[in-house]
Amino acid sequence: MIIKAKLLVSISILTFCLATWSCSNISVFSPEAYKQAVDLKVESLELMSFATSPYADYEENVTYLKTELRKAYEFALGRPNNELSAGQWEILINEEGNLLGGFLKRWETEDALSEMFVSEMQTLVSDAFDTIIGLESGKIDPSELK
Amino acid sequence: MPTFNDFVTTVKNDLLDFTKENLEEYKDEILKDGNAFVEKTKEDLQRWTEGLASGALSQTDFEFLLKGKKDLAKMEALKQLGLSKIRITKITNGIIDVVVGSAIKTFL
Repeated sequence: MIIKAKLLVSISILTFCLATWSCSNISVFSPEAYKQAVDLKVESLELMSFATSPYADYEENVTYLKTELRKAYEFALGRPNNELSAGQWEILINEEGNLLGGFLKRWETEDALSEMFVSEMQTLVSDAFDTIIGLESGKIDPSELK
Repeated sequence: MPTFNDFVTTVKNDLLDFTKENLEEYKDEILKDGNAFVEKTKEDLQRWTEGLASGALSQTDFEFLLKGKKDLAKMEALKQLGLSKIRITKITNGIIDVVVGSAIKTFL
């Protein structure tokens, strides 16, 4: 009887340790983060389609979008155990990089971009947003955690 | 009365079934994602090379796109790393269920 009790206690401790360890690795699903990424994907691709026109005509829109992107990055950065998603945002919006941040900077610098380049960059940026959305949607819903 | 050895045997069998079922599913998923990325990259490179040759893309555009693909690959890698962590969490939760289930089957 004592052995059985000890065994059950050991199993409980093991279960607790496994559960604690498994929950501490990556953040849980956030509907807000998911919506933010989907909304910003649509807004970014829409604005990018105007990059064949002079930058000055869309400067305000670009400034607004950059602020929203920065907010999404800061939101990701502030969530616990969310380094991977924050890292994705950082790559996407980096002005020295070659995705959305770099694209907007190049538009500003060169005033207008070629049609094929804009179209190809839209595909890359769309795929980039999908990696963020894909990771977020793959996260475990808090209600599923034991 | 069930012994600790009975419990260990039950856990081993239950874990084996659980692992077979889950690892097969995850392996297929990872291979599918990886192959799709490689295929898409090949198609993109072909289109960009044609664009460069026809003058639709400048040398700067072409280089920017190539570097963009590299950045995208980094983002994809972060996604895959995150999904792997999530799978481990799910597997750990599954193992907890198996261990608890086996204990209940054996002792209660």
